[in-house]
Amino acid sequence: MKKKTARISATLLAGTMICSLLAGCSGSTGGSTASSEAASSEAASSAASEEAPAAGEYEVTAPITIKWWHAMEDQYSGLVDEVVKGFNESQDLITVEAEYMGAYKDVNEALVAANAAGSGLPAVVVANTDYVAAYGESGLYEDLTPYIAATGYDVDDFADGLLVSAQYDGKQVALPFLHSTQVIYYNKTMADANNITVPTVITDMDAFLDEASKATGGVALSIPGWDQWYFETLYLNEGVKIITDDNTCDLDSDAALAVTQKLQDWCKSGKAMWCFGTDASANMRQSFYDGKTFAVMHTSSLYNNYVDKCDFEVGMAWYPASTTGSKNSEVGGCVVGIPSKNDQQTKNAAWAFLQYLAGKDVNMKWAEGTGYLPTRKSVLETDEGKAFLEEKPAFQCIFDNLDLVNPRIQNAAWSELATTWKNYMNEIMGEGADAVQSSKDMVVEINEILEDSAS
Amino acid sequence: MQTTKKQGAAAEKKPLLTNRQKSHLGDFACVLPALALLAVFTYYPICKLFQISLTDWNLLNDTWNFVGLKNWDWLFNGSGAKYLWNSLKVTFIYSMGELLVTIVGGMLFALLFNRMTRSFSFMRAIVFMPKYVAMSSAAVIFLWILNTDYGVLNYLLQFLNIGPVDWLNQKSTALPSVLMLTGWRVIGYGMMIYLSAMQGISKDYYEAAALDGASPVQSFFRITLPLLSPTTLFLLITTFLSSMKVFQSVDILTSGGPSRSTEVFVYLIYRYAMVDFRMDRAATAAVMFFLILLVVTVLTMKISNRTVTYDS
Amino acid sequence: MAKENAPAVEKHRKHGAWYYIQPVLAVMVTVIMAFPLYWMIATSFKSAEEVQLVIPTMFPHSFHPENYSFVLQRANFLHYYFNTIVMTIMILVSQVVTGVLAAYGFARGNFKGRNILFYVVLGALMIPVQVTFIPLYIMCSNWGLNDTFLGLVLPEAVSAYYIFMLRNTFLSVDESYIDAGRLDGLGRIGLITRVLVPMCKSTIYTVTLVTFTNGWNAYFWPKIIAQNETRRVLTVGLAQLKNTFAGQAVSNYHEIMAGAVLAIIPVVVLFFIFQKYMMTGYSKSAMK
Repeated sequence: MKKKTARISATLLAGTMICSLLAGCSGSTGGSTASSEAASSEAASSAASEEAPAAGEYEVTAPITIKWWHAMEDQYSGLVDEVVKGFNESQDLITVEAEYMGAYKDVNEALVAANAAGSGLPAVVVANTDYVAAYGESGLYEDLTPYIAATGYDVDDFADGLLVSAQYDGKQVALPFLHSTQVIYYNKTMADANNITVPTVITDMDAFLDEASKATGGVALSIPGWDQWYFETLYLNEGVKIITDDNTCDLDSDAALAVTQKLQDWCKSGKAMWCFGTDASANMRQSFYDGKTFAVMHTSSLYNNYVDKCDFEVGMAWYPASTTGSKNSEVGGCVVGIPSKNDQQTKNAAWAFLQYLAGKDVNMKWAEGTGYLPTRKSVLETDEGKAFLEEKPAFQCIFDNLDLVNPRIQNAAWSELATTWKNYMNEIMGEGADAVQSSKDMVVEINEILEDSAS
Repeated sequence: MQTTKKQGAAAEKKPLLTNRQKSHLGDFACVLPALALLAVFTYYPICKLFQISLTDWNLLNDTWNFVGLKNWDWLFNGSGAKYLWNSLKVTFIYSMGELLVTIVGGMLFALLFNRMTRSFSFMRAIVFMPKYVAMSSAAVIFLWILNTDYGVLNYLLQFLNIGPVDWLNQKSTALPSVLMLTGWRVIGYGMMIYLSAMQGISKDYYEAAALDGASPVQSFFRITLPLLSPTTLFLLITTFLSSMKVFQSVDILTSGGPSRSTEVFVYLIYRYAMVDFRMDRAATAAVMFFLILLVVTVLTMKISNRTVTYDS
Repeated sequence: MAKENAPAVEKHRKHGAWYYIQPVLAVMVTVIMAFPLYWMIATSFKSAEEVQLVIPTMFPHSFHPENYSFVLQRANFLHYYFNTIVMTIMILVSQVVTGVLAAYGFARGNFKGRNILFYVVLGALMIPVQVTFIPLYIMCSNWGLNDTFLGLVLPEAVSAYYIFMLRNTFLSVDESYIDAGRLDGLGRIGLITRVLVPMCKSTIYTVTLVTFTNGWNAYFWPKIIAQNETRRVLTVGLAQLKNTFAGQAVSNYHEIMAGAVLAIIPVVVLFFIFQKYMMTGYSKSAMK
């Protein structure tokens, strides 16, 4: 940014001679087979945008087919179909085609690659909450603020933390869609039988681990180490910033070291288990289903799955409050937004679909059919909310604490930092590396990453 | 075009020369399609990579600037250096492992399965087959066999009083686990190559050696091994080069973990590109990788040209 | 083959211990080598509960072929099969045609810069698609090749390996055969199809099988260029089966193994058909 150098579009390739030569060649050989629905819909949309100059800036004026990339696998396919069908039948102009792209990571890969190429972009796409910063900063996601203003869409009904987590730099670049937060699932049947309660403050944790490990004869609590999202909250609540204001890492501060050492003590004693690596999530869940683990830290979105798989009653608890009394959590799941490189007509259609997707009715369908949270304030206090809680009483802890769900840390080097952090944590927890020394080494490494990213 | 000069034989006349030119052109036309496709789909992207390595291109951004050698500085002196050397080390160890299995294991298997009966032929086919099993299938099979809690390997090991090993999630066992999968796939290949080369060795040598009172072990070291040296060299070169490109098994089994203990070079590039979206860094690492491969290839070509003795 | 009579030579000597140990050892090794495949097949017929038993069952208690129908229908493997077959055939045809021609040019042709150009081909051997995929992806996208067969195939249209192996084999054919062919009035194509290819049949089978296998098993590039369901191939679909639980790993190994079986059947069948050519095929190209 400081340097004055020529800025060249990433698509400069298109101009090179070799390109145009071969493009002509491939067109003549592959044209007959390669034409797909996508191509024809794109053609239709671009044609439409030419003849629709300014008739209502964000209005859809001509029939259009748009694509929605999502990460809801087979078990949700019925719900996805229902939602898409509902939208397609609700109006005449827009036809949405839903495409399952794989896990969030896969959606992310596909989206970034398509964006760089400038073609094959979906009109609407979901993104895990920790990608919002990157998409917002690079302009990959369209700034929705003018759309919201022009169409008068009511965003104030979204829970505050959720709404902010779909913002970057004050701009609303996405809408809250399917959200979850960190919770502790526990074996309620076993808890009632042994009179164990999940602690509400971290200082009670040692006693809890003793009791619970006696009850299972093994592991009391499983802590996911495969994603730092599950344990970063424990640090943040102790006042650790992870990335400080002067762009350095404070994971070697006394507060951070205390958490690390505590975690390591638990893991060393065998009462807590650090789950990481291949199949970690599957193994952790299976051990819980089998009653070999008393409690697991996991995402609230999996509530229904836990209930289905367990032949005992599943309880859900908020993470215990820190020594400072803070009990915030972080938002998980995905937001939904519009890639900005689409043409305006596509974006308008996308915006129409977006409002529907993030709307209350669709949201409640998800909340009932899965473990995702209701995103609307208006749901919480109304009969709908009560009905929901009656069906899923375990969600009471989330309803109580919904305003404590915070947005994620937003930093361009976050992915690299997280990888490094996870690696060191796995060594400390899984392989017994020295907590203090490893943390110091790690901070040196992370600071280098942060410095590199800032320069 | 230049006139081709031909010495010796009878003096050639003009029309013949043009025929020769025509023939050259025709021969060249044979290799042209392959060369053209390689130029567009292999060499052009490589050149492009050199260019990207001099920029600050983050895939998320549409614009980028030329930053000179900044990425190279980062790779050798900055935070990238540590991971670069780590991945070079991991790749090297992996390559050595694969070479060992292919060459030593392949040779031992060749000796073991060297009997020309139908049943042995069938067994050879079984041993060779894993090479043709898709890596994605093979990798998920091993994922399942190596599973800590429900894997059959840990179940069998428990009879030997070896406690459940967390194969894929410990630094000490992750790379050996990847090598286990590799070994399963390549050892039969090494065997097949050696066996077919052994068929080419004349029985006379062995009979002569037997007459001189040489033991089978002696004749193996004095006859078989030396005569197989071109085969060994062939395996050495091709295996080494292909082993440096290992990716898919690591991707499916360990994703480069735990703690980068299986982060081979290609995986490092992949991670920079597709996880961090730092195309500049990925391209720099990729160029580096390309240069390493180039040096290794040229060296091995030189060596092989000098030392290989062809079996007459 | 001629070698079948070889034991006669051995028989006049008294068999050493090795003669009896060898088959026993060979059978043991074969069993170990075959086990992963057996385990895949066995698991693919188990139920979800049986897969999660702490003491694994060596043989499925009850057969569950519905794992296969699940994978074929719900997980859409039938469609992936079609995509994989079309892609593989296109790659195969392209690699064989360009490969045989180029191998002839480099082995028997005569033109300026032949050796340097051959190094150019060999150089391509060292450049995996994992290195070049970003420029490639952008190039293909600009040509509108995302989610098309052409996009899947073009970067794999030429195999340096194929050219390399075949050229070495063509070199091993004695010059006199070629001269004889020329005397018979065969042109370039005639020489290739009537003399060189028939004489190098085993190598061609072997290398073509390798090509087929590589095409069928391709994973990295198809994953990138064909991201949506319409052109997804088997290998990518299989890897996706693994992440079918809220993006988290699952233990649906009975289904994954059924997918793994389906993904390798065609290659294994071809392998057994062609494996008799392998021995001679590898030796000819490897010795040079």
